[in-house]
Amino acid sequence: MPNDNKQKPILIVNQSAPYGNANAKESLDLALASSAFEQALSILFTGDGIYQLLPKQSPDDIQSKNLLQMLKALPIYGVEQLYVDQQSLTERGITELDTQLPIVLVNSVEISRLYHDAQTVFRF
Amino acid sequence: MIFSVLVLGAPYSSGASYSAYRFAQAALDADHNESHNKNHSANHNECHTIHRIFFYQDGIHSSSQLATPPQDEFNLYQAWQDLQSTYDLDLVTCIAAAVRRGVIDSGEAKRHNKLQHNMSTNFSLSGLGQLVEANALSDRVITFGR
Repeated sequence: MPNDNKQKPILIVNQSAPYGNANAKESLDLALASSAFEQALSILFTGDGIYQLLPKQSPDDIQSKNLLQMLKALPIYGVEQLYVDQQSLTERGITELDTQLPIVLVNSVEISRLYHDAQTVFRF
Repeated sequence: MIFSVLVLGAPYSSGASYSAYRFAQAALDADHNESHNKNHSANHNECHTIHRIFFYQDGIHSSSQLATPPQDEFNLYQAWQDLQSTYDLDLVTCIAAAVRRGVIDSGEAKRHNKLQHNMSTNFSLSGLGQLVEANALSDRVITFGR
């Protein structure tokens, strides 16, 4: 893999609810791959993507793997913060997210900074 | 400029694969024209290369060898294969995304005890690390399908 000066910071934007399609799962796979290769990575949850962070998910009932459990593992892979769009929470009346996730609420100015700081944006 | 391309949409169901194909063709043709026509209006200093084209999510269906569009329609599958052999492009299909969607090469067929395989030999199966590496080594990654 390339050395550090070849690093191109990645922003992954999650805007899909989990389980209804493969976006959340395949976004997570890319996040894990990025961190395995020690790339600078930020992850933003916005729109329906915030539903990925709801506590008490029971995807066993639909024969799916628990994505929340996998999101909780991200700090082990060096992803220390998950950025969450405050406005998306407000619009959907969501007040409670999983407390074990390293969540940082961000406003539109901070979101624009995340985009600005990224060299590449992957949206799921 | 060094480009890499990410294709996320299935051919025909979405325009992603076709748009990605046209993008790749345009980038490589611009390079071609530049060396053959000095008066071409395109930037003379601009020399484009495509480091890799990565097929992920439903984009992996572009690498199927079995898809057979009607004869009076544009055959996007064949077009990708031709583009690959013309320019010796690195077309990489995400192995995790492809295997779970039923696009496999002979090696995966053997590994998973399947009698058939259906992936075009113009594509290679590999992991997401190839996308991460493409991002690190390219000036731009252009996504089609989102």
